[in-house]
Amino acid sequence: MSDIFTIALLQNTLRTATPIILAGLGVLMTDHVGIMNIGMDGMMLTGAFFAVVGSFYLGSWLGGIAAALLAGVLLGLFFGVFVIKLGSDEFIIGVALNIFAGGLTVYLLRTIFGVKGAFSDPAIVPLPRFVWPWLEGIPVIGPLLSGNTLLVYVSWALVLVCWLVIYRTPLGFWLRAAGEHPLSLRSAGISPERMKYLASLLCGVFAGLAGAHLSLGYLTMFTENMSAARGFIAVACVIFGAGSPPRVFLAALLFGFIDALGLRLQSANVNSNLTAMAPYLVTVVMMAVLVVRTEARKKRQIQTR
Amino acid sequence: MKKTMSLLLAFSLALALMSFAGAEEALPSVAVVVAGGLGDRSFYDSASGGLELLKAEGVKGTVIECKNDASLFEQSLIAAAESFDFVVAVGWEFWEPLETVAPELPDTKFIFVDNELTGIDNIYAITYAENEGSFLVGYIAAKLSETGVIGAVGGEDNTTINNFMVGYKQGAAYANPDIRVEISYTADYEDPAKGKEHALALYDKGADVIFQVAGKTGEGVFEAAKEKGKYAIGVDSDQKYIAPDVIVCSMIKEVGLSVYDAVTRYVEDGSFPGGTVWNANMKSGLISVGFGDETMPQQVSQALIAEVKALTEMIVSGEIVVETTR
Repeated sequence: MSDIFTIALLQNTLRTATPIILAGLGVLMTDHVGIMNIGMDGMMLTGAFFAVVGSFYLGSWLGGIAAALLAGVLLGLFFGVFVIKLGSDEFIIGVALNIFAGGLTVYLLRTIFGVKGAFSDPAIVPLPRFVWPWLEGIPVIGPLLSGNTLLVYVSWALVLVCWLVIYRTPLGFWLRAAGEHPLSLRSAGISPERMKYLASLLCGVFAGLAGAHLSLGYLTMFTENMSAARGFIAVACVIFGAGSPPRVFLAALLFGFIDALGLRLQSANVNSNLTAMAPYLVTVVMMAVLVVRTEARKKRQIQTR
Repeated sequence: MKKTMSLLLAFSLALALMSFAGAEEALPSVAVVVAGGLGDRSFYDSASGGLELLKAEGVKGTVIECKNDASLFEQSLIAAAESFDFVVAVGWEFWEPLETVAPELPDTKFIFVDNELTGIDNIYAITYAENEGSFLVGYIAAKLSETGVIGAVGGEDNTTINNFMVGYKQGAAYANPDIRVEISYTADYEDPAKGKEHALALYDKGADVIFQVAGKTGEGVFEAAKEKGKYAIGVDSDQKYIAPDVIVCSMIKEVGLSVYDAVTRYVEDGSFPGGTVWNANMKSGLISVGFGDETMPQQVSQALIAEVKALTEMIVSGEIVVETTR
């Protein structure tokens, strides 16, 4: 047991959680304006691809992030136009985005880099990694705080910023109103559609960051379908966290922890097929807990009335 | 389902008639149907490389990718059989689809790569003695290890993957009876981030050489090796070029060459040993260890390479019998 519960387990938790945290922040933006974006996985995958393209051709990680953000914003706009302006079903567009991203990245991988399936090259510049030796001396916290790549720290800051914006600024109020009561927002002179577009674009920005982290921070390569359903886990975390950034953050950490624990349980002779199931099992349990809790709250509200 | 099947069959018949009407071709045409997708820089790419060799000799051919979508397996085999003389099914997953489809298409010659399936006249199965190659890389890993711990990341806990593992363990123990071999299964062939985590966890346990047997997931093992400055071993194709500084060698399974051999033998003397299994072992020369080319840094010493050569002879002669899960 002692070789399972180590500092490496927590580091693994953090690494696994980061792409989900970033994607989760994106999903919760649209969630607040009343749109469920299940296309996050595809948006993230596209972001990951363009991050590699940008980093490879511009020779800098900044170029990679810029390209990923651009791709994310374009997809966010695409999503917005179809769902908000044309009134298409958000789930259909989400599914379409996922399939489109899968095909597009494979196609571009073949046309741009002339390879199939995977692209890695020493010319891809990874995100900077911050190592502070003085910090590493502190037990537990030191090794967790030091040695991460840029977007890990950015994701923590963004959780705070998102929480502040959503719950402490007029803009956040308008965003939430656009989802909860668009009519009142309109009567207050603010266009709910605008808020929805803003949320879609922000969602694209976060998707781009999540993708860039995956292909330039976590790994330094692009492979087909490398998002590996992380976008969907992010959606689950947002639902579980009821749209609150800190709670989504914790949900993502929980998921990362279970994933990290799962792979280590194999050394305690737990079958690998079972351990691979663990994160999804937890997702299902999380959802069940959520439903039970919401039902209970509804009942209480009815009783107090 | 039946209707589509009969439609497809009718269509294939029509196509077959059309091809008979055309100019008689001396060389057979070959379709390679892969269970996963190309670009794994490993198993499937090797199979597609075999087709390229055939194409260079004038054979017409194509690759059909099923992208791990099991619902596409049967349809892809049927579609391939419509317009090609040989259908090469690459991946152990094709066992059931082949059993269903092949008897219905007696004019097509199926080559089944990576699994045993006997008794159907138009299926020629090829399996590989990956255990024998893994023995050699296990030996190398144990000799290179300074910590006395080596690792392996497998894509799935199944017979084929474990056939690598038993050989790897045996070879490692042959080099150093006290070696500890840690194995981790990812249950995923397509998620390099997961592969990286599994490798990091193994390095964390003290392993300093890791053998990856996990397709694209295994690409993450190379990333982990680069980050930690430790060693990794490639699989199926010579993967050293991907990260020459950390990949010390690769266990090569010449899937492409075996397919090439099977088709060329048919072209030469019309023989097609349907219904049987060919175990491509070290003796056949299709299982070996690759060290990249001379431009790349070599971590394995010439002395160790000589030892590996001697071991190869011993395996070929039967002096060393490598365990198998098959």
